[in-house]
Amino acid sequence: MTDERDPKLSRRYRELGAEEPSRELDQGILAAAHRAADKAHAPLVTPAGRHRWYFAFGAAAILVLAVAVTVQVERQQPDPEAIPASPAPVRSDREEGFSYQQEQQEDRKRAEVRKQLERPKALSEVAPTPAQEAPRAPSRDAANRVEVEPKPAPAPEKREQSAAAPAPQAAPSPEVMASAARLSPERLLERIAELRKEGRHDEADKALAEFRQRYPDYRISDEMLQKVERRK
Amino acid sequence: MLAYRGGDAGAFDRLYARHRARLFRFVLRSIKVRAAAEELYQEIWMRVIEARGSYKPTARFTTWLYTIAHNRVVDHWRRGGLSLVSLDDHEVPASSPDPAQHAEAREALARFAAALERLPPAQREAFLLHEEAGLTVSEIAAATASNEEAAKSRLRYAMAKLKAALDDD
Repeated sequence: MTDERDPKLSRRYRELGAEEPSRELDQGILAAAHRAADKAHAPLVTPAGRHRWYFAFGAAAILVLAVAVTVQVERQQPDPEAIPASPAPVRSDREEGFSYQQEQQEDRKRAEVRKQLERPKALSEVAPTPAQEAPRAPSRDAANRVEVEPKPAPAPEKREQSAAAPAPQAAPSPEVMASAARLSPERLLERIAELRKEGRHDEADKALAEFRQRYPDYRISDEMLQKVERRK
Repeated sequence: MLAYRGGDAGAFDRLYARHRARLFRFVLRSIKVRAAAEELYQEIWMRVIEARGSYKPTARFTTWLYTIAHNRVVDHWRRGGLSLVSLDDHEVPASSPDPAQHAEAREALARFAAALERLPPAQREAFLLHEEAGLTVSEIAAATASNEEAAKSRLRYAMAKLKAALDDD
């Protein structure tokens, strides 16, 4: 029943109009169909075109991410050659049970003593040079050093103030005292022997006394003892 | 279509000439805006061209064509509102020289168009497929992915409502 058309209904429907697609539309579609026929079975519009763009973008993003992660990991890895360089002396002190705070306290005490003993000396003799300061570089003294180093000839008052500072800039033999805390006992004895050889007996005596105070159980060989002790 | 699939471009020309106007009106009366209808119409034919390789003559080409058209129209309905094309811009053929009769015919046609527009989308589509594309009930069911009973029911309701609109003339 419903497969049969109602003539009246069909006629009225036809009266609505007989619209057709434009000629341009026809030509565009027919041209596309002919192009597709020429390309045999190739798809007219590549269905994967949009996806191909996604793949390319995704691959680029992954590449950038991989490079970024690699660079970041390399930056965070410690330099294997840098590890044994600076902390070695500190480690040896720790092995001896000598902490940095103790070292600082002793340095201060020594500085006080030396200041009193060496006051008659010329300022130029006791003024530390930057080169002498260089080997001793505890980071906590950095601020104080920065203030002192650029001034070649500070006033006497300032000199005294700086002598009381944590760093023993005004010590009579800063190279010895500065390195004393870091040197091994053997090396320290060699330094004392050098002082003795140079005729700096007072400094050598003090250094030896400090050595014995620091390493009371260390047995100095006879040969070394002759070098470090003052000959009478 | 099989000839076109085999590379005969002329076969497509013949197919296109046979279906172009009816398919265009089906789309146009399913969608209000002509520009959108043209775009959709082009998409349908492009889909036909793309799918030529997978075409299997299990049904009439017309059913296959309107299945594609149905899917595209449904997609369009989902994207935005749906409506039939307005008849405001359509001029009734001046078959009668009498201006009064001409105006009356125009009003009757407007009532019919309004009745068609008021139909539920599924009923309107069933009527358009039947009237414009010439599909049978079973073909309408196949094209709209429904069963024959549903297609038959939709078509019957649509025709009854439109006849009622005609009886008011």
